[in-house]
Amino acid sequence: MTNPTINLRDLVILIADPSSYVRMISHSMLRGFGANKVLEVGQTTGLLQTLSSQKIDILLCDARLPPHGGLVLTRTIRRNADNVNRTMPILLMSSDTRETTIKSARDAGANMVIAKPMSPKSLYDRLAWIAFNSRNFVDTPTYFGPDRRFKIEGYPGGVGRRKGDKVVEVGQEVGPALAQDDIDSLFSATRTG
Amino acid sequence: MAEQNNNDPNVFSVDTRFQQLARRPGGVSRDRAIDSAQRQIDGMRTDFANWLDREVQELATSVELLDLNRGDMAALDRAHQACCGLRDVGTTMGFELVTFVADNFCGILEAMKAGAPYDREKIDCHIDAFLLARTEPYRNMRPDQVPEMSSGLRRVVELASASATREAK
Repeated sequence: MTNPTINLRDLVILIADPSSYVRMISHSMLRGFGANKVLEVGQTTGLLQTLSSQKIDILLCDARLPPHGGLVLTRTIRRNADNVNRTMPILLMSSDTRETTIKSARDAGANMVIAKPMSPKSLYDRLAWIAFNSRNFVDTPTYFGPDRRFKIEGYPGGVGRRKGDKVVEVGQEVGPALAQDDIDSLFSATRTG
Repeated sequence: MAEQNNNDPNVFSVDTRFQQLARRPGGVSRDRAIDSAQRQIDGMRTDFANWLDREVQELATSVELLDLNRGDMAALDRAHQACCGLRDVGTTMGFELVTFVADNFCGILEAMKAGAPYDREKIDCHIDAFLLARTEPYRNMRPDQVPEMSSGLRRVVELASASATREAK
């Protein structure tokens, strides 16, 4: 699919970020995209209040949202069976783009991770990807969220993708930051085969 | 037919309201949407320079408090939060060097949180780098265009991280 057009009019978009300037920039970008219902919160308390009081169509959440961070929050939202926003798309914004962090975000139930600082192009394309790439949801005793079975395009550093591939040691907590393309490949659901 | 085990995953399709409405015809085309968003950002540039000055000043104030009381974790958290804010918006606003300096400074502050000793010189050189990065000749530069400064700041972060690792042992 090339250059898809998305229509954000009347969609309720919630931006959750501790920095008022990040919220302002993100809000401005979304307005430029045609969004007209954008809400902002600066911390988890405000976010949970908003989620309990109204239906949100998509959440843009900072991975470091105080006090516990966006990953814990994403897991909390996904695991709360009574929450009407349980299956809403969650786009995590993170300046920490190490592979371990991206995988943690995926395992928490995020639909996609976008690297900070964001550009209008990167934000638009991530929103379009979520809009046009439906993914099943999976409910297990340990996970609730978008299907995590992925077609891995290949990790930086030569980590194998098949059972028979040569095993390569992967570092524990440290590692280079991933480029947005590499982040996307960790979220690209298998469509064929 | 085999009975489903309680531990078997339940897989179901979800067509969210976001997906339904975002796919409607009548949206702004991608190129126009991105242009329009970029114009919104361009319109914020003048204010951004003022905001940047205020944030760097607040950062310096938090650091001054740390200088008075090196165990002031609240001041360290405030400085880190402010620094993350600078890192997260610099490049978006066209100030790539600001993001670079802020990212480095975040590394210093994280090392201090992890136990690296307070080092006024490491902090001062980053505050000075912020002041330089916001000035007209430097604000549009990338880190690779000022290699001496970039490699110097990187080296400072490496030393701070190594120091934190030693303290942790």
